[in-house]
Amino acid sequence: MNRWQKSVDEIQTRKRQVKECERALESLSKVIACFQQMATSVGSNLDGSFLREEMDKTRAFAHRICTGLHKKLVPLLTREMEHGPEEREQVERLWVLFLTGLEQLQQDLYKFSELIDRFPLRGRNDHHSLVKTGSSGGVSGVIALAAAIQTSWLAVEGEQSPDLKMHITQIDSLIKEMLQKVSIPFWTVEATQEAWAEAAQSSDAVQDQDESLEDMMEVDVVSQDAKMSGCCHPTNCKLGCMLCLFT
Amino acid sequence: MTIRNVRDHGQRYRPRMECLKKVEAVMLEMQDPKTGVKSQPQRLVITTIPHVITGEDIVTWLANRYSIEKEEACSLGTMLVAFGYIYPIQDHKRLVIKPDASLYRFQTPYFWPAQQWPVEDTDYAIYLAKRNIRKKGMLEMHEQEQYNSLHKWMNHKWDFIVMQAKEQYRAGKERKKPDRVVFDCQERAYWVVHRPPPGTISAMDYGLERMVDPNTEEKQTSDYFRRIIIFTQQSIMRPRVKSSVSIGALVKYSITYYKHDPFLTPCLPSNSWVTDDVTFWMLNMTNVETPTKMRVERWTFSFGELLSDPRGRADFRLFLKKEFSGENLAFWEACEDLKWGTAATMNEKAQQIYKTFLARGAPRWINIDGKTMEVTVKSLKHPHRYVLDAAQTHIFMLMKKDSYGRYLKSPVFKDTQKRAIDPNPHRFSVTQLEANARKRRPSLSPIIVRQQEEEERARMATSGPVDITQLCRFTAPVPHLAVYSGPLSSPPFPICLPHTPACPSPISVTIDSTPSDRRWEDGGGAGEREAVDQEGRGMAVSSRSRVALSLGRLLRRGCNPSTVFASLSPKCPAPAGTSSRVQPISTDQTIQAPPRSIANFFQIKVDIPPECRIYPIDSEDEEESGGASKGIGGEGETEGQVKEIICPWECLTPHQGAG
Repeated sequence: MNRWQKSVDEIQTRKRQVKECERALESLSKVIACFQQMATSVGSNLDGSFLREEMDKTRAFAHRICTGLHKKLVPLLTREMEHGPEEREQVERLWVLFLTGLEQLQQDLYKFSELIDRFPLRGRNDHHSLVKTGSSGGVSGVIALAAAIQTSWLAVEGEQSPDLKMHITQIDSLIKEMLQKVSIPFWTVEATQEAWAEAAQSSDAVQDQDESLEDMMEVDVVSQDAKMSGCCHPTNCKLGCMLCLFT
Repeated sequence: MTIRNVRDHGQRYRPRMECLKKVEAVMLEMQDPKTGVKSQPQRLVITTIPHVITGEDIVTWLANRYSIEKEEACSLGTMLVAFGYIYPIQDHKRLVIKPDASLYRFQTPYFWPAQQWPVEDTDYAIYLAKRNIRKKGMLEMHEQEQYNSLHKWMNHKWDFIVMQAKEQYRAGKERKKPDRVVFDCQERAYWVVHRPPPGTISAMDYGLERMVDPNTEEKQTSDYFRRIIIFTQQSIMRPRVKSSVSIGALVKYSITYYKHDPFLTPCLPSNSWVTDDVTFWMLNMTNVETPTKMRVERWTFSFGELLSDPRGRADFRLFLKKEFSGENLAFWEACEDLKWGTAATMNEKAQQIYKTFLARGAPRWINIDGKTMEVTVKSLKHPHRYVLDAAQTHIFMLMKKDSYGRYLKSPVFKDTQKRAIDPNPHRFSVTQLEANARKRRPSLSPIIVRQQEEEERARMATSGPVDITQLCRFTAPVPHLAVYSGPLSSPPFPICLPHTPACPSPISVTIDSTPSDRRWEDGGGAGEREAVDQEGRGMAVSSRSRVALSLGRLLRRGCNPSTVFASLSPKCPAPAGTSSRVQPISTDQTIQAPPRSIANFFQIKVDIPPECRIYPIDSEDEEESGGASKGIGGEGETEGQVKEIICPWECLTPHQGAG
């Protein structure tokens, strides 16, 4: 009876841990996406010390998530005996996805470090050379989104977030270590999603917004006379856009 | 995770991307609020987006800044667009600068092309997934294809890709509307440059990746200076040509080849790289029956052009065949084969070539001047790849000055010219182009192509001689040599003669083509055989038995039959080297006289049926009567003549093992 109870407890603990890892992976994905969105503004006219500070914060956050997830995931994998095949598959999948996420993050960090070197923002002249990309708003929305990522599962870490270059090398070594520690043939991992599935899943509420977005991108066609303005028909008037194209 | 190439130590420096650093400097200059390009806000329906520039402004700025003409500024601007530093807002798939009011915008540095790393497929997959979400599955044709293939190859990380796509999409929505538009335009432009849709020409086509970063400043060590010194010393020593002469040559070349350059004149029917239609390649294949008019025109430019085109060479070969001077081309091809062949076969090839073309009394003797012949034969003692260069050049010039001119006026060429096809240019619509792109298929594997080439060569080798110079009616090669093995037990003769792919067909043809050696007498009667005497005019032996007899005599003279005949077999080069001998041209051997008889003797061609054999048969010994001793005794002087063809360098080298 006791043994049975213990094993049930164990199973439940494991399931919980796996769930936590999944959520951690989602958070990691969110953080990476936010970081990338912010990185696209570096070097542009939106760039500034504020942006860079926020990016550093996000980066530190990402670092915490990575280390936390790493800590959780490794023991799950190294204890081989106690998993059922399905669970094993799931954990392996998480492993592969985690590695992919780390690589993505590393790439973004590389780019970020390059961009910082190229646009140092030291003096006035440097500000002049920022590329005028046409962005006007800020990235505050993104920052808010990043801040809203839940990390309740993350035990409070007292670690210092590393310097940028250090961070990159750390991720590198982390990846290498992970590859060596557990040998999982990553081609055995299969996607749970079908191809083209994500298209069907998007909600309808945002459809109108997106359509107008597309229109704005397409309708940038200017008529042949010297006017600089875009099309002057009301929004959502596709017919109007067509006419605009032909004028 | 990504499959990392083990050999990739992060060294992915792409040589043509060296200019990126300079382009970035230009871009930064353009941003200057005072001296840079003027930008305006773009007014859209619900909002205004700043920082849009016109093509005209860009071109004018470039022309002013660098003091160049408008056309050059245009092409510079197009380069900026093709690299992805500026993107067009209208007509986003065509990466060119239009010097009018068309609108452009600067690309954000995050999306600038980077030299250090190529663009990852993972990112492209995320982008496609994002686009899929936004457009609900309505992707373009090429995007759909890419999506499917990426889904297959990246299946193991597909979940992450989708997750990331959703998150990026959500993060993007957090920005204000105009920024979203700008960001989407930027991203779209980025992928148009790096994964161009069919029909778009981007500048991301680079060559091989290099191990060393060409952009790094080289440290000025003593090694660096030493290299500069050597380079300048060599430059001083270089021979010079007047610039009028060299420029004249360049101009002449450009004029001649203008219409044949696919960059300057459109290919007929269409450039396969651009339209994905392979008609052009099919029409210009190596062994096509009717060549195109352009191809035939190229043959008239120079002799080198004619020879380097396999179809042209085939035509020329046909012409020479009719003129009975095919040995020159055969020799030239044999030399090429020697030059480009494997090192292992070089010795044998050199010997074969010597025996077939250069030796006195060789079957396909070529006519080169004495000095060249001397030099060549001497250096053949130590054969190497370029040992026949002088002779080959001589023959090349001979053909060029003599045969080439006649070829161009010959009916063969005129016929080819008349039959040459002139295809009409294709005019594909956009949908047709897309259909072509979808129908792309890989061509034949190179393994299969090589097999076909070898079969072709085998067919050519067995199809008979190129030159039809003999009076002898037996001109077809006889493949079976076991007949000649005679009664002696000898090392087994390879009956199935392997065709050496390395040896080109000219060598395999052992038909005598030298008029001087024409000693065949067609199936003369027994009486004529009397003529064979010490002067040794060759006799045709008309009966197999006689040949067998004479062979017997030969055998008893101590010649190892298999090696004799094997050595003379065109298809068996391996034992050829063992003991085949041509009388050396050097005066080591005193038995040079009578030259004619010897010359006749050396016409031993195994492939000819016995009736045509010439053997230095003593007229007295026609009827075999066991006069072995007589044979041996009488032939004292011709003993040496009975020797096999000696390659002169063989004197110095020991016997190789029997093949």
